[in-house]
Amino acid sequence: MNAGGPSPGAAASRHRPPTGLVIVALVVGVVFLGPFAYVAWRNIDLGTDVGSLIWSRSTWEPLSRSLRLAVTVSASTALVGTGLAWLTIRTDLPGRRIWRVLSPLPLVFPSFVGATALIAALAPGGLIEEIVAPIGIDSLPDMRGFRGAWFVLTLFTFPYVYLPVAARMGSLSPSLEESARLLGRSPWTVFRTVVMPQISGSIWAGTLLVFLYTISDFGAVTLLGYDTLTEQIYADKLFDQPRAMGLALILGGVALLVVVAERAADRRRQRIEVVRIRDPLTVPLGRWKWPALVFVGGFLGNALIGPVAVLGFWAWRGLTADVDSVGLGTDFGGLLWPTINSAQAGLLTAAVAIAVVLPVAWLTARYRSRVGGAANSMVVAGFALPGVVTALSLVFWAIDAPVLQRWYQTLPLLILAYVLHLGAQATRAAQVAVAAVPERLGDAAATLGARRVRRLFSVELPLMAPGLFAGAGLVMLSTMKELPATLLLAPIGFDTLATEIWGADDRGALAQSALASLVLVALSAVLTWLLVIRRLDHY
Amino acid sequence: MMLTKKLLPVLLAVSVIAAACGNDADASGSDTGTASITVYSGRSEELIKPLLDAFTAQTGIAVQVRFGDSAELALLVQTEGESSPADVFISQSPGALGLLAGEDRLRPLDPDLVSLVDPAFAASDGTWVGLTGRVRVIVYNSEMVDEADLPDSVLDLTDPKYAGKVGVAPTNGSFQDFVTAMRAEIGDEATLEWLEGMAANDSPNYQKNSPIVEAVGRGEIPMGLVNHYYNLRALEADPSVPSANYFLPADDLGSLVIVTGGAVLASSDAPREGEQLLEFLLSERAQETFAAQTQEYPLRPGVAPPPGLPPLEGYAADTIDYDLLGDGLTGTIELIRESGIEQ
Repeated sequence: MNAGGPSPGAAASRHRPPTGLVIVALVVGVVFLGPFAYVAWRNIDLGTDVGSLIWSRSTWEPLSRSLRLAVTVSASTALVGTGLAWLTIRTDLPGRRIWRVLSPLPLVFPSFVGATALIAALAPGGLIEEIVAPIGIDSLPDMRGFRGAWFVLTLFTFPYVYLPVAARMGSLSPSLEESARLLGRSPWTVFRTVVMPQISGSIWAGTLLVFLYTISDFGAVTLLGYDTLTEQIYADKLFDQPRAMGLALILGGVALLVVVAERAADRRRQRIEVVRIRDPLTVPLGRWKWPALVFVGGFLGNALIGPVAVLGFWAWRGLTADVDSVGLGTDFGGLLWPTINSAQAGLLTAAVAIAVVLPVAWLTARYRSRVGGAANSMVVAGFALPGVVTALSLVFWAIDAPVLQRWYQTLPLLILAYVLHLGAQATRAAQVAVAAVPERLGDAAATLGARRVRRLFSVELPLMAPGLFAGAGLVMLSTMKELPATLLLAPIGFDTLATEIWGADDRGALAQSALASLVLVALSAVLTWLLVIRRLDHY
Repeated sequence: MMLTKKLLPVLLAVSVIAAACGNDADASGSDTGTASITVYSGRSEELIKPLLDAFTAQTGIAVQVRFGDSAELALLVQTEGESSPADVFISQSPGALGLLAGEDRLRPLDPDLVSLVDPAFAASDGTWVGLTGRVRVIVYNSEMVDEADLPDSVLDLTDPKYAGKVGVAPTNGSFQDFVTAMRAEIGDEATLEWLEGMAANDSPNYQKNSPIVEAVGRGEIPMGLVNHYYNLRALEADPSVPSANYFLPADDLGSLVIVTGGAVLASSDAPREGEQLLEFLLSERAQETFAAQTQEYPLRPGVAPPPGLPPLEGYAADTIDYDLLGDGLTGTIELIRESGIEQ
């Protein structure tokens, strides 16, 4: 599968990646190396003794807490995300079309908003206690510390698993499952032996993102009082910069290790390539219909409906109250431009991220290429660096650079910052999408004389579309809630819904913050439905 | 499927066009004024924009503002170095100003400008000047605590009878500023002892001031250490909340005045205009606006404090002199961490 002209044959191309593709991947890898190089340089410049930092107890303790949280959140999101995807895509669950639209949305809550809403609802003296106290329940589970952080992060990150798995499930061929069933296998056996091998790549892809997100999260862990490595980086960022940068280097190193390990494991997993000819099977739930509905409703009730209700309560209280103090009232009209800006930034970033990441994904999924593997690892691990570090790295590289300087604090450079930070979310989805295109299809098209570009657009892209759009959807949702890079690098006056939420929260205007959060959820619902969920909706 | 195919290019095209228009608007906006300055503001837009607009109307100097978190904006200025587009930095925390002053990123201000406030509320080397003040208080739930049971000194909070009752935000800038002042006043050893006492009391941790005020309001904890104006604002949003401010005696260490301040960057090419802006923010009119809007203390002598608050004059004007502390805030953070107060 060479870059131009008919390919001489699959056997040869498998070992020799096209030069053009390798060069593109090299460039992408070098660009994504930027944040890591910045962190490394700062460590040298500040004279951080990374060696002794690594072995000190004050590093190990928060690091082990970060890892403990990340592993447990990964496990629970893998289970819940896969379960929800299967129930909403492949079964006759009542209301599944609505659940499909709702399921990705919890991702769009900035984690501090989600955590604040849950604390307000569940903490001692909170909204729920006020509601349940009259019926005799007077103590709710303690939300602080590990349990609270695990709960909140599971609720708000499971879409990293849900979206790619749902996309993959929607494009499975029914033939294997039908055969297995005709042979008398039970539905569970069919799921385990036929469906799982086909979706495991997507589950791993999503779970890895959850892991990396969790170790980089700041908002939820600080609000819930769980002291992780990233929390310490934030606490030290101003007045103990040698330590903050040393910890950031350690965090980046851990992320790279995890990414490389996952990649190695991924290559050993078996893949099943089947092209969908008909729509996938729908599994009747039978007597499990109602328990399944309780599970889906209960989980999304906590992850989405509950927080939205709390936000709605605050917004309603603000809209109806007569608050004359400046900055505490609500301003619905003032959210128009932030909404447009958020949508614009989200869509552009998603498109650019897919374009940047697809060549790398193609290279890694189709060939054995060291350059592809290295570029891929850089892209994915970049997600684990705290957003403020990525943003500052771009400031560092761009502010005095000949060409980039002119773009400093303009939209293109902001989009670049988003892509650097969030590109990982498209990478693995794109790899899974590429893997879903049978090589022999392209070869067949080539034999028939179709040119490379035409093959890409008429044969391969349509097959990759569900996976690519799932990846794009993740990037879009994450971009719309991104804060540190937006505050530091957006053009002056380019307010987004995320900056609006943060600004209102910062000045104590709970109602306006809640209102902006609700608009963000609504906008996300519209955009994910248009771009991602509609494609799953035909089955 | 077909619809999405058509829709996607349209959405992207609209995004690109909107981007292009947005950039045009920015460009034409900055060309119109004769003089223009760029401000990095840690103070929220709603709490300062009207004043900035009034400044532009009065002087004809256009103001471009980037809003953000004070600490992160300080890091931005630090990373941008000589090429920083900013002329003025307005910070919610003196620590962020102190950091930049220590790195020679701030330009010494006109002595006349600095002398508008008490010397305690400005940098000793004149690199920044205070704009407003916040007083450290104990916020308490009036349904859970009798005001008579509150201590006379913040140092008494290590008493076992306050175990588990006092919310703190050890990683927050204002708590760090408070500990820094404590070190300057009673020394590192006694400060560490106090922090360890708070740690031994299992004082509940929060991220910052506002969650403490909310937790006290809900009754999750009976009291917490915060800046005075968070509770006043919470009460404005919902007057039924049973949280109240307790002002420690004015000469107590716990009654630290934390200033928000402004500075002109060393790399600014419009330092005069920048100073004009700071001078405007210290004008009586602007200072009155701060007092009315955010219930902060005006720092210009003669401007009345927000109604219901004790006068600022009584307070020991011991603002933190970062120069005297040697290892500065790094030492504070190390002490806080060493004490185990962070949970």
